[in-house]
Amino acid sequence: MMFVLERLGTFFGNLGSLAIDPVSLIILFSATFMGIMFGALPGLTSTLGVALLTTLTYGMGPEMAMIALLGVYVGGTYGGSYASILINIPGTAAAAATALDGYPLAVKGEAGKALGLTTTASAIGTFVGMIFVVSISPLIARLALQFTSFEFFLLAFFGILISGTLTSPDIVYKGWIAGFIGLFLAVVGRDALQFYPRFTFGLPQLEGGVEVVPVLIGAFGIPQIIQVLKDRFQPVEAKTFQRILPEFGTIVRNMKHILRSALIGVGIGSVPGIGEDIAGWVSYGAAKNSSKHPERFGTGAYEAVISTETANNACIGGAMIPLLSLGVPGSPPAAMLLGALLLHGIAPGPMLRIDHPNFILQVTAILLLASFAMWILGMVLAKQVVKVLRIPPMLFMPIIAVLMIIGSYALNAKIFNLYLMIPVGIVAYFLTEMKYPIAPLVIGVILGPMADENLRRALMVSQGSFAPVFTRPVALILFLVIAFTVLSQIPIVRKFFAAIKDMIFHGNADSGS
Amino acid sequence: MMDNQQLRRADFITSIILLLFSLWILGQALQMPMKDTYGGVTNVWYVSPALLPIFISVGLFALGVVLLVYSIKTGGAAYFFERVKVRGQGFPESFVRFGSILLAFLSLVYLDIPRIDFFLSILLFMLFFVSAFYYDDDHILHSLSIFYLAGQGIILVLFVTGIAAALQSVFKYSMDVVALLFFLVMLFYLRKMTRESADYQKKWRITLIVTIVTPAVIAPVFRYLLLVPLPKEGGIIELLNLIYYTIR
Repeated sequence: MMFVLERLGTFFGNLGSLAIDPVSLIILFSATFMGIMFGALPGLTSTLGVALLTTLTYGMGPEMAMIALLGVYVGGTYGGSYASILINIPGTAAAAATALDGYPLAVKGEAGKALGLTTTASAIGTFVGMIFVVSISPLIARLALQFTSFEFFLLAFFGILISGTLTSPDIVYKGWIAGFIGLFLAVVGRDALQFYPRFTFGLPQLEGGVEVVPVLIGAFGIPQIIQVLKDRFQPVEAKTFQRILPEFGTIVRNMKHILRSALIGVGIGSVPGIGEDIAGWVSYGAAKNSSKHPERFGTGAYEAVISTETANNACIGGAMIPLLSLGVPGSPPAAMLLGALLLHGIAPGPMLRIDHPNFILQVTAILLLASFAMWILGMVLAKQVVKVLRIPPMLFMPIIAVLMIIGSYALNAKIFNLYLMIPVGIVAYFLTEMKYPIAPLVIGVILGPMADENLRRALMVSQGSFAPVFTRPVALILFLVIAFTVLSQIPIVRKFFAAIKDMIFHGNADSGS
Repeated sequence: MMDNQQLRRADFITSIILLLFSLWILGQALQMPMKDTYGGVTNVWYVSPALLPIFISVGLFALGVVLLVYSIKTGGAAYFFERVKVRGQGFPESFVRFGSILLAFLSLVYLDIPRIDFFLSILLFMLFFVSAFYYDDDHILHSLSIFYLAGQGIILVLFVTGIAAALQSVFKYSMDVVALLFFLVMLFYLRKMTRESADYQKKWRITLIVTIVTPAVIAPVFRYLLLVPLPKEGGIIELLNLIYYTIR
C-alpha cells in the first residue's frame, strides 16, 4: 500500500512539475501542434514527425526530449482524423478507418460534431493507454528481470516475426523477408562480443554499425516522398464546419464502445511492431459486429468514428508497454522513440526501473499532459489546422526532404549517414511498392543487436546446448508461439490443422445429432 | 502500387535476388572465424560472429525459395518472360517522375552537399524539386530535369577533372559562385517557361519564396541554435557566420 501511495506521489509530483514549468508546456503544446499538422497532412505520418523531431532534440535532456516526441506522437495519431473526415483521405494510415464514417458525417454537415467526437475520443484513448503503461509496464519489467539470454533472443525474434506476420499487406512471407533484411542491416559492423568486422566492405564508417536514426528516417520518409510526388497527389477541397464541440453527451452514450476500443488499442499496441492502423481497423470491425445497427456503418455512424479514434490513440500507451519494459517497440513510432531514447543515453528494458526509477512515471505524466494538450488544441485550433490541408504536397514534401537530410546528418555530423539513408530509402520504396511492410524491417534493425548478442551469450553459457529453450517456461512458450506462427503459414500444416478442426467439429456434430 | 500481374512478376525477380543475396551472405559468413583464433580468442561455433549471419542467410534462402515457388505458381515467372519478349515500349510518365525525384536526391547527397556550400546546395535542390512537381506540367518537368541533369553534370565534371580544385586555389569560393550562377540561370529558365500563364507566374513567386526561405531558416537553426557544424561551410555560411558573430 505504501509503495502504491509512494508511486502515486511521485507521479503527481512529476505531473505538477511539468504542468508548472512554462518551458515544458511550450514544448509540449508546440510538439503536439506539430504532430497534429503532420497527422493532418496526407503523406506525412506521426512516425516521420517523431523521426524529424528527434533530430531537434539532440541538445535537450531526456525528459524534455520525451515531452517533445510524445507530444508529436499523440498529436500525429489524432491529427490523421482531420483529413479523413474533411477530405475523405486519411491523413495517416491510423485514421483510415475513421474516413469510412467520418466523411459521410461531414457530407451531412456534421464535420464539427465528428471532429469534436474524435478529439474527445482520442484524448480518452490516450488516457486509458496511459493507465495501462503505469500499471502493467513495471509488472512486465519485473518479470523480464528473470529472463536469461535465451528469452531475450526468442523475444527479439518473436517481435520481428509477429510484426512481419501481422503487417504484411500481401503474403505473410514478405513481412518475414523484410524482418530478415532488417536483421541483416543490424549485423553490419564490428560485432559486440569479438569485435570482428562483418559486411563492412573495408569502410571504416561501417565499423560502428548502421546508424538506426538515418535508416529509420530513410525507410519511412523517402518512400513517402516518392509516392506523393510520383502519384501526383493533389489537395482536395475540405468540407467546412462552424465550430467544434466536445460532444460529452454522445461520448457518455457510447462509453461501452470507448472502453472496448481502448482495450483493443492497448492490446494491439502492446504486440511488437503492430501500429495504430491495425488497432483502428480491428476496433471498427468489433464496433460494427457488436452494434445493434451495423447497417449504419459506412453512412456516418458516431460509434464508428469514436471506436477507431479511441483505439488508435490507446495504441500509443500499448506500444509504450513493451518498449519501456522489454526494450521492444510496439509500433513504428515507438521504434523511432526507442532510437531517440538510446541517443539520450536511456536504454529501455528491464533495467530501466533500476537505472532510471522514475522514468516510466515521467512518461506516464507526459502522456497525460499530451492528451490534455491535444484536446485543447483540437478544440481551439481546429479551423487553423484545416487550413494546412490546402497546402499542395508538392510544396511541403521538398521541405520535409531537406529536414530529413539535415536531421540524419546532424546525428553525429557524418555525411556517411546520408550516403546510407538514400539507398535504404530507395530500397524501402521498392519494397513498399511490392507490398512488403516496412515496420518489420525497422524492428529487425532495432532488435538485431539484441538477438545477436543474446543468442551467442546464451549458447556460450549453455556450452552450445539448446536444452534451456525447453526447460525454461518463458523460453518454451516463446519458442512454441514462434513455431506455431511459422508452421501455421505452411499450407500443408494449415491443411492438417483444418482437417483436425473439421474432425473435431464433425465429431461434435455427430455426437450432437 | 502495382497491379497483381506486376506484383507477381516483381515477386519472381525479387525471389531470384533474394536467393543470390542469401548465398552471398552465407559465403561472407563462412569466411568469418568459426573455430580459429581471432584477437586472442579461440572460437567455438556457438560464439562465432558468423552465427547470426548464417541464420539470416538460411532464413532468407528458405523464404526466397518459398517466394519463387509462389511466384511461379501464380504466373509471375510467365509474366516476366512474356515481358522480356516485348521491348521498346518507352518509359511511362511515372518513370520520368521517379527519375526526377532520384536525380534531386542523388545529386544533392552524393555531389552537392559534400562539396558545395550547404545553403547553396539546398537552394539548388529546392528550386529544382519544388518547380519540377509544383506546376504539375509534364513539359516543365521534362525540360527542367534535363536542364538540372546537365547543370549537375557540369559540376561533376568540374570536380572530377580537378578544374574545381584549380579554380578554388585561385578563389576559395569559386565553386560557390558556379553554384549560384547555376541557380540564377535555372531560375530565369523557369521564369521563361512559365511567363505565359498568370497561374504559373503566381506559382513561380511561391516557388522562389519557398526555395529561399527553407535554407534561410534551416541553416541558421541547425548552425547557431543546435550548434551543428554544417556539411560544407562555403561562402554563404561564412557570410552568415560573420553576421551572427558580429551582432551577437
